[in-house]
Amino acid sequence: MIEAAVFAILAVMILVPAVLAVSLKNIFHCALWLVVSLTGVGGMFAMLGSDFLFVAQILVYAGGITVLLLFVVLLSGSPKDWIIKQVNGQWAWSLILAGIFVSLLATLFRQLPEPGPLAETVPVTKALGLILVRDMVLPFEAVSLVLLAALVGAIHFNKRNRV
Amino acid sequence: MALGPWTVTGPWVPSQTSDALRRRYTRSIIVLAAILLPLLGLTILVGEPDTYFHAALNFINTFVASKGGPAWIGQAVLIIVPCSVVLTLIQVLPVFLVWWEMKIAAHIQVRLGPMRVGRFHGVLQTIADGIKLLLKEDLVPEGADKIVHFIAPLVAVAPALVCFAPIPLGHAGLAPVKLDVGLLFVLGVSGLSVIGLLMAGWGSNNKYSMLGGLRAAAQVVSYEIPRVIALLPVVMWAGSLSLGQIMDKQAGLWAGFLPKWFIFYPVVGQISFIIFLISSVAETNRTPFDIAEAESELTSGFHTEYSGMKWAMFFMAEYAYMFLACALGAVLFLGGGGALHPKLSFIPSYVWFFGKTFFLAFLFILFRWSYPRLRVDRLMEFCWKFLLPWSLANVALAGFLFLMMRSR
Repeated sequence: MIEAAVFAILAVMILVPAVLAVSLKNIFHCALWLVVSLTGVGGMFAMLGSDFLFVAQILVYAGGITVLLLFVVLLSGSPKDWIIKQVNGQWAWSLILAGIFVSLLATLFRQLPEPGPLAETVPVTKALGLILVRDMVLPFEAVSLVLLAALVGAIHFNKRNRV
Repeated sequence: MALGPWTVTGPWVPSQTSDALRRRYTRSIIVLAAILLPLLGLTILVGEPDTYFHAALNFINTFVASKGGPAWIGQAVLIIVPCSVVLTLIQVLPVFLVWWEMKIAAHIQVRLGPMRVGRFHGVLQTIADGIKLLLKEDLVPEGADKIVHFIAPLVAVAPALVCFAPIPLGHAGLAPVKLDVGLLFVLGVSGLSVIGLLMAGWGSNNKYSMLGGLRAAAQVVSYEIPRVIALLPVVMWAGSLSLGQIMDKQAGLWAGFLPKWFIFYPVVGQISFIIFLISSVAETNRTPFDIAEAESELTSGFHTEYSGMKWAMFFMAEYAYMFLACALGAVLFLGGGGALHPKLSFIPSYVWFFGKTFFLAFLFILFRWSYPRLRVDRLMEFCWKFLLPWSLANVALAGFLFLMMRSR
């Protein structure tokens, strides 16, 4: 009963701000609604008993990425960003496509087995750490190499533009 | 000549001999001891507060069970009471901290500071200030984004209060919530406050606020990185992200006399602590790093257009974060609620915790009133070109040392 109520609140907290984030005219407001939506996703992780994912979601998405997003909005925004519409003439087509996608998801969802009761929250940090840097160390390092390459590339392009 | 507290005093006043000064200082030490020692004795007599709480909880549980009531009443008490105690504490503490800061600042600058309100050295000064703030007019600037302007102080202060949930205010059992990822939780949620600063800067429709908000956010985001990396060696050493477990790992003695606190771990502990301290001061936007407010350049940064209680909320967030940084430092580097020596553990753990925390808070205040403000580009250079490489090198050194210790 309580779980259902929490789930309903979190679902509203994720979906309504997500729609607002892509439909409002004021781009700063959009970014703020995105924060609410991402925090709601974190709450969903907490409800499902994954403490590490909850904290990582808050730390990386709600606290890190959206702050950078707000920064970009404030530094590089032009006056028309505050009044321009976020949709173009093809919104009807995309709505139809989205509807098809949702119906496909719904058919998939009906075939899923009934979910069991929520498990007791167990700390997952240690297990996750062992998987990441012992069992899966090669893919993990490869991913970090990709990120490092992206970082170096960003600096490189920035330097060339400045000269 | 009578030396009342209200006479203008200072070492340069010729009528004031060093003898008179010495007498003054001895008297103030005696007064302080007369206040603090009975308080300490009282805490020793009372002991740990959680024993009373658990006894009360047991009583409630048995009472409810005997009347056939539902079991969730006990659980609700178990959740609500510690959280409200901590919440109240965090909201009342800035009142004390601000008074303390005013007094220390005054004494550093050879002034007296507040002396009138509340008879004894102006103890009620901040309460009078708070009443003044409550009665002030709430101004919203013309053309401001009213909703963002209204919500910004709430967004800034709410994470500061939530952050205290996993912090053990004493031994590990005194944490309101026992979280296995407590340290990450504190760091992650405290990062949300930056959004409040940006909202305040943007929503005020004021160039100074906007620049101040951007500067504050840039500073907080940048200094977050060396701060988190400086905490990595502690986590590596303790093998846990839970604040309670990190604290318990620091119980005991090194070499028979040195408390087993992480700050005393050779080389790594000291570098970590210094980087953590510097970047914590920067994180709370306090004076050597208060470029975000910078009264002389940006009027007062992101809260230029705020008045009354909205301004007070930013102020409270700043002090709550300062206290949070000190509490984290006490738990991670100074053994939290652990005693200096096992023989001293008859003093309750929360006294140790608050003693260490207030010692760190004293350091914060001392820094604020001793150093001039850094320029904004030097501030960023200091973070990215000095603190960050050293914190990374420190992690490497820590890994090497821990590995050597384990193999031996």
